[in-house]
Amino acid sequence: MHGFGPVQPEEDEPPFHAVWEGRVYLMAVALMRRGLFTLDELRDAIERMPPAEYLAASYYERWLAAIERLLVEKGTLAEGELDAAVEGQRR
Amino acid sequence: MSLPTASALATRFDPGDRVRARVMNPPGHNRLPTYARGRRGVVEEVHGVFALPDEVVRGVARPRHEPVYAVSFESRELWGVDGSERSAVSLDLWESYLEAEPAPTDPVRSSPGGR
Repeated sequence: MHGFGPVQPEEDEPPFHAVWEGRVYLMAVALMRRGLFTLDELRDAIERMPPAEYLAASYYERWLAAIERLLVEKGTLAEGELDAAVEGQRR
Repeated sequence: MSLPTASALATRFDPGDRVRARVMNPPGHNRLPTYARGRRGVVEEVHGVFALPDEVVRGVARPRHEPVYAVSFESRELWGVDGSERSAVSLDLWESYLEAEPAPTDPVRSSPGGR
Protein backbone atom coordinates (compact mmCIF):
# COMPACT_ATOMS: atom_id res chain seq x y z
CA MET A 1 0.00 0.00 0.00
CA HIS A 2 1.39 3.36 -1.01
CA GLY A 3 0.17 6.93 -1.23
CA PHE A 4 -0.01 7.73 2.50
CA GLY A 5 3.05 10.02 2.40
CA PRO A 6 5.96 10.08 4.84
CA VAL A 7 5.75 8.53 8.30
CA GLN A 8 4.82 11.24 10.83
CA PRO A 9 6.60 10.33 14.07
CA GLU A 10 4.62 11.11 17.21
CA GLU A 11 6.47 13.25 19.78
CA ASP A 12 7.32 11.31 22.97
CA GLU A 13 5.37 8.34 21.64
CA PRO A 14 4.51 5.91 24.46
CA PRO A 15 5.09 2.16 23.87
CA PHE A 16 1.34 1.60 24.21
CA HIS A 17 -1.59 3.98 23.67
CA ALA A 18 -3.99 1.95 25.82
CA VAL A 19 -3.68 -0.70 28.55
CA TRP A 20 -5.16 -3.40 26.30
CA GLU A 21 -2.35 -2.91 23.79
CA GLY A 22 0.24 -3.81 26.45
CA ARG A 23 -1.81 -6.88 27.36
CA VAL A 24 -1.94 -8.04 23.74
CA TYR A 25 1.82 -7.56 23.41
CA LEU A 26 2.52 -9.50 26.61
CA MET A 27 0.10 -12.27 25.62
CA ALA A 28 1.99 -12.72 22.34
CA VAL A 29 5.35 -12.79 24.15
CA ALA A 30 4.07 -15.32 26.71
CA LEU A 31 2.63 -17.61 24.00
CA MET A 32 5.88 -17.44 21.99
CA ARG A 33 7.93 -18.27 25.10
CA ARG A 34 5.66 -21.27 25.67
CA GLY A 35 6.44 -22.33 22.09
CA LEU A 36 2.89 -22.05 20.76
CA PHE A 37 4.09 -20.08 17.77
CA THR A 38 7.11 -18.09 16.53
CA LEU A 39 7.49 -14.40 15.67
CA ASP A 40 7.70 -15.38 11.99
CA GLU A 41 4.34 -17.14 12.30
CA LEU A 42 2.83 -14.10 14.02
CA ARG A 43 3.96 -11.83 11.17
CA ASP A 44 2.69 -14.33 8.59
CA ALA A 45 -0.69 -14.54 10.36
CA ILE A 46 -0.99 -10.72 10.26
CA GLU A 47 -0.29 -10.80 6.51
CA ARG A 48 -2.97 -13.47 6.04
CA MET A 49 -5.72 -11.26 7.53
CA PRO A 50 -8.57 -10.49 5.12
CA PRO A 51 -7.33 -7.31 3.35
CA ALA A 52 -10.27 -5.08 4.37
CA GLU A 53 -9.90 -6.13 8.03
CA TYR A 54 -6.15 -5.56 7.86
CA LEU A 55 -6.58 -2.01 6.52
CA ALA A 56 -9.25 -1.13 9.11
CA ALA A 57 -7.26 -2.51 12.08
CA SER A 58 -4.76 -0.68 14.27
CA TYR A 59 -1.30 -2.11 14.94
CA TYR A 60 -2.17 -4.09 18.06
CA GLU A 61 -5.61 -5.05 16.73
CA ARG A 62 -3.63 -6.87 14.02
CA TRP A 63 -1.52 -8.60 16.67
CA LEU A 64 -4.67 -9.73 18.49
CA ALA A 65 -6.28 -10.98 15.27
CA ALA A 66 -3.10 -12.93 14.46
CA ILE A 67 -2.91 -14.47 17.97
CA GLU A 68 -6.54 -15.61 17.74
CA ARG A 69 -6.02 -17.02 14.24
CA LEU A 70 -2.88 -18.95 15.22
CA LEU A 71 -4.44 -20.42 18.39
CA VAL A 72 -7.39 -21.72 16.35
CA GLU A 73 -5.17 -23.03 13.51
CA LYS A 74 -2.93 -24.84 15.98
CA GLY A 75 -5.90 -26.33 17.83
CA THR A 76 -5.32 -24.57 21.16
CA LEU A 77 -8.71 -22.91 20.79
CA ALA A 78 -11.73 -24.44 19.08
CA GLU A 79 -13.40 -22.43 16.32
CA GLY A 80 -15.90 -20.13 18.04
CA GLU A 81 -14.58 -20.90 21.55
CA LEU A 82 -13.37 -17.35 22.07
CA ASP A 83 -16.64 -15.80 20.88
CA ALA A 84 -18.55 -18.09 23.27
CA ALA A 85 -16.29 -17.11 26.18
CA VAL A 86 -16.75 -13.40 25.42
CA GLU A 87 -20.50 -13.94 25.20
CA GLY A 88 -20.38 -15.70 28.59
CA GLN A 89 -18.59 -12.71 30.14
CA ARG A 90 -21.33 -10.39 28.93
CA ARG A 91 -24.13 -12.32 30.65
CA MET B 1 22.49 -31.43 8.78
CA SER B 2 21.41 -29.90 12.10
CA LEU B 3 22.97 -26.62 13.12
CA PRO B 4 24.80 -24.49 10.58
CA THR B 5 28.42 -25.59 10.30
CA ALA B 6 31.42 -23.28 10.03
CA SER B 7 31.27 -23.50 6.24
CA ALA B 8 27.57 -22.55 6.30
CA LEU B 9 28.64 -19.34 8.03
CA ALA B 10 30.55 -18.29 4.91
CA THR B 11 29.07 -14.98 3.85
CA ARG B 12 28.72 -13.75 0.31
CA PHE B 13 28.80 -10.06 1.28
CA ASP B 14 30.89 -7.90 3.61
CA PRO B 15 30.15 -4.54 5.23
CA GLY B 16 30.54 -1.80 2.61
CA ASP B 17 29.53 -4.05 -0.31
CA ARG B 18 27.02 -2.64 -2.78
CA VAL B 19 23.99 -4.89 -3.24
CA ARG B 20 20.63 -4.83 -4.95
CA ALA B 21 17.46 -6.33 -3.48
CA ARG B 22 16.05 -8.96 -5.80
CA VAL B 23 12.84 -8.39 -7.70
CA MET B 24 10.73 -11.31 -6.53
CA ASN B 25 7.08 -12.00 -5.86
CA PRO B 26 6.74 -15.43 -4.25
CA PRO B 27 3.43 -16.34 -2.62
CA GLY B 28 3.40 -16.28 1.18
CA HIS B 29 5.50 -14.62 3.83
CA ASN B 30 8.98 -13.18 3.38
CA ARG B 31 10.94 -10.34 4.96
CA LEU B 32 11.82 -8.31 1.87
CA PRO B 33 9.55 -5.25 1.71
CA THR B 34 7.96 -4.62 -1.68
CA TYR B 35 9.23 -1.02 -1.69
CA ALA B 36 12.86 -2.22 -1.53
CA ARG B 37 12.70 -4.79 -4.35
CA GLY B 38 15.03 -3.87 -7.20
CA ARG B 39 16.61 -1.05 -5.14
CA ARG B 40 20.31 -0.57 -4.46
CA GLY B 41 21.77 -0.51 -0.96
CA VAL B 42 24.97 -0.94 0.99
CA VAL B 43 25.71 -3.71 3.50
CA GLU B 44 26.20 -2.16 6.95
CA GLU B 45 26.60 -5.20 9.15
CA VAL B 46 26.50 -9.01 9.16
CA HIS B 47 24.08 -10.16 11.88
CA GLY B 48 24.87 -13.89 11.72
CA VAL B 49 23.01 -16.91 10.36
CA PHE B 50 19.26 -17.32 10.79
CA ALA B 51 16.51 -19.62 9.55
CA LEU B 52 14.74 -18.33 6.44
CA PRO B 53 11.30 -17.07 7.63
CA ASP B 54 9.73 -17.91 4.24
CA GLU B 55 10.33 -21.59 5.05
CA VAL B 56 9.75 -21.38 8.82
CA VAL B 57 6.14 -20.25 8.36
CA ARG B 58 5.47 -23.06 5.89
CA GLY B 59 6.47 -25.56 8.56
CA VAL B 60 9.52 -26.83 6.66
CA ALA B 61 11.19 -29.35 9.01
CA ARG B 62 14.75 -28.15 8.37
CA PRO B 63 14.43 -24.60 7.08
CA ARG B 64 17.35 -23.12 5.15
CA HIS B 65 19.74 -21.05 7.24
CA GLU B 66 21.31 -17.98 5.65
CA PRO B 67 23.43 -15.00 6.66
CA VAL B 68 21.33 -11.95 7.51
CA TYR B 69 22.66 -8.47 6.69
CA ALA B 70 21.69 -4.97 7.76
CA VAL B 71 21.39 -3.18 4.41
CA SER B 72 21.06 0.59 4.16
CA PHE B 73 18.95 2.13 1.37
CA GLU B 74 19.11 5.87 0.67
CA SER B 75 15.75 7.59 0.97
CA ARG B 76 15.91 8.88 -2.64
CA GLU B 77 16.66 5.36 -3.90
CA LEU B 78 13.42 4.15 -2.31
CA TRP B 79 11.07 7.11 -2.66
CA GLY B 80 12.52 9.03 -5.63
CA VAL B 81 11.73 12.76 -5.69
CA ASP B 82 9.61 12.37 -2.53
CA GLY B 83 12.57 11.08 -0.53
CA SER B 84 14.89 13.18 1.58
CA GLU B 85 18.62 13.85 1.30
CA ARG B 86 19.11 13.25 4.99
CA SER B 87 17.53 9.86 5.64
CA ALA B 88 18.00 6.21 4.84
CA VAL B 89 16.17 2.99 5.67
CA SER B 90 18.05 0.05 7.18
CA LEU B 91 16.56 -3.39 6.55
CA ASP B 92 17.62 -6.79 7.92
CA LEU B 93 17.68 -9.01 4.82
CA TRP B 94 18.46 -12.69 4.23
CA GLU B 95 21.23 -13.47 1.74
CA SER B 96 18.96 -14.96 -0.93
CA TYR B 97 17.05 -11.63 -1.06
CA LEU B 98 20.18 -9.92 -2.36
CA GLU B 99 22.41 -9.85 -5.43
CA ALA B 100 25.78 -8.17 -5.95
CA GLU B 101 25.61 -4.69 -7.46
CA PRO B 102 28.55 -3.66 -9.67
CA ALA B 103 30.43 -0.47 -8.77
CA PRO B 104 29.06 2.61 -10.56
CA THR B 105 30.60 3.05 -14.00
CA ASP B 106 32.47 6.18 -15.01
CA PRO B 107 29.80 8.26 -16.82
CA VAL B 108 32.37 9.73 -19.24
CA ARG B 109 33.69 6.36 -20.33
CA SER B 110 30.36 4.60 -20.50
CA SER B 111 28.41 7.23 -22.42
CA PRO B 112 28.43 6.95 -26.20
CA GLY B 113 31.02 9.28 -27.68
CA GLY B 114 32.88 9.47 -24.37
CA ARG B 115 36.65 9.26 -24.32
